Amino acid sequence: METALDARQKTVMPRTPSTQKALHAAYYALLIVYALFCLLPLWGTLTTSLKTSQAVETTSPLAMPGSPVFVGYRGALEELKTPLLNSLIITAGGALGSVFLGSVCAYALTKFQFRFRGLFYLLLTVAIYLPYQAILIPLFRTINALNLYDTKAGLILLHTVFGMPMCAVMFAGFYAEVPDCVVKQAMIDGSGPWRIYRKVVVPSTKIATMTVLVFQCTSIWNEMLFALIFGAADAMPATIALNNMAGTLAAERNVQMAGSIWLAMPVLALYIILGKYLIRGYMAGSVTAS
Amino acid sequence: MASITIRDVRVSYNKRGSYALKGLDLDIKDGEFCVFLGPSGCGKSTAMHCIAGLIHPDTGEIRIGGSVTTSVERREFVPPQERNIAMVFQEYALYPNMTARGNMSFALETKKTPRDEVARQVDKTARMLGIESLLDRKPAELSGGQRQRVALGRALVRNPSVFLLDEPLGNLDAKLREQVRYELKKIQTQMGVTTVYVTHDQTEAMTMADHIVLMKDGEIVQQGAPTELYDRPSHLFVAGFLGTPRINMFDCVIQARDGSLRFNAGDFSIPAPENMEDALRPLLGREVILGARPSDLSIVENGEGDIRGVVDGVEPLGDAYLVYINIGSRVIIVKSAGGSGALSGSLALKASPDRLHVFDKDTEKRIGA
Repeated sequence: METALDARQKTVMPRTPSTQKALHAAYYALLIVYALFCLLPLWGTLTTSLKTSQAVETTSPLAMPGSPVFVGYRGALEELKTPLLNSLIITAGGALGSVFLGSVCAYALTKFQFRFRGLFYLLLTVAIYLPYQAILIPLFRTINALNLYDTKAGLILLHTVFGMPMCAVMFAGFYAEVPDCVVKQAMIDGSGPWRIYRKVVVPSTKIATMTVLVFQCTSIWNEMLFALIFGAADAMPATIALNNMAGTLAAERNVQMAGSIWLAMPVLALYIILGKYLIRGYMAGSVTAS
Repeated sequence: MASITIRDVRVSYNKRGSYALKGLDLDIKDGEFCVFLGPSGCGKSTAMHCIAGLIHPDTGEIRIGGSVTTSVERREFVPPQERNIAMVFQEYALYPNMTARGNMSFALETKKTPRDEVARQVDKTARMLGIESLLDRKPAELSGGQRQRVALGRALVRNPSVFLLDEPLGNLDAKLREQVRYELKKIQTQMGVTTVYVTHDQTEAMTMADHIVLMKDGEIVQQGAPTELYDRPSHLFVAGFLGTPRINMFDCVIQARDGSLRFNAGDFSIPAPENMEDALRPLLGREVILGARPSDLSIVENGEGDIRGVVDGVEPLGDAYLVYINIGSRVIIVKSAGGSGALSGSLALKASPDRLHVFDKDTEKRIGA
């Protein structure tokens, strides 16, 4: 009589080496096709950006440029110089502001007992999911009243305020891993909350700070809604300027593509330089806060 | 140096639903090594955290060196950083981002001590603890024992008025624990700093303490010198908690025979000590609990003993043997010094009358002096 175990052994037959190889080949083929599909637009952008206007019209977008030229890059930089600088300032200000406030907020929420602590945490979480469209009009009036419309300071303020909840929740995960007894020990050693934050909590969670900082920089750099509404001309960030270029006939496609590369470069550089911290940071969040 | 006074301190972790400390009253003398001893959840760490200022009690007052540090009624509270206390946590709580030197100098730097003085103090303490070569290492590069020494050094370097040690030896292996225990007591005696030490290990308490505070369910069951608690436990819980191996306990009825009193445990009957007769006579015919420590029972010739049994097993300890003896309804333990390795078969036991402990069955309190 066939037992349940026999039946299971029949269904989970050990694979032969040839079946295994075929399966591996299929997996790899699938992954290569997927990777090509993802990289194709980037390839098209890169090749087009290195062509002359004439070559763009006469060759396939995916074809290699005969002899690469940087005329597109020069043109794009001319157009995007000021918006890129704006983006840089807004990103630096907004990211540092939100990371600092989020970090302090998470420190208080995770390491100190106070009334309505749970409510504060809940409100922060709610703020993350708040659709910005729903508050655009009151926000617009507020920024106007503060005389910050179309200023870099206005955009920095917005990104600081609206980036803070996400930063706080991310930091809270890391800070929860810092043992409470370390904070208590620092108190016993004569330090007040601020000194403990500066001397113990932040230095022992450098990877956390790096992770949240990169995340926030990327978000602000790529952001378009606030940029479009509150950065109309003088404070216009590069995302909007690039979009404007793509929407006009004045800019050639090679210039538009070069502009895209210019825009992507700082974020790419950030990932290349800080990528190792990011991976450690994502792992650290789940295991330890070191 | 400072004495510590605790008056009616209550702490609740669930909005006064139940209390982790139920009106603690305690006086710790200046320079004393006081051990809070008890099982997990008895409130010993809570009491220490109240002294440190890490917990705000619901009621009561705490004074360190005569000055009020916590007073619920007077709404006074000195934050931990202003109490001039040093604490060692069980987890050591070393700052992971700092070297051993950084950890040890942190508190002095906070107090804005001149840099040369900080270095001098740290070097001196490191020499005392034998950790000079470890000063440039970070906690992750240190072993458990080394971390423990750095944590201890961090406390010692500050010259505080009170040391609070929360199970500091809990993470060490048995051999190292023994060594550090001895060194710690020696250092404390040299420095003469009032020390509060929390542990659930009765051996640590017995060997180190000048004053043991044995706690259970948020209350002090008995306090006093280690020998006082061991020799004259005021409560059944104290008798059971102190002593390895555990004290033998028997449910007995007090009976009178030929004008003298006897404890009848069913399996055996032994005479009550003469000096306890006055205290026991009113309890004639009632059940009490009789306690006899394994070292207070001796194996004797078969005709001489009051308790008869059969050897159930023998555990050699090196210098002595633990003999498990089946006396009928239960097995009792006898600690016998030497020569008992070959014991087997039936034998007789004799209890030292002046070393017997008698407890009321209902209140579990000690009967007699």
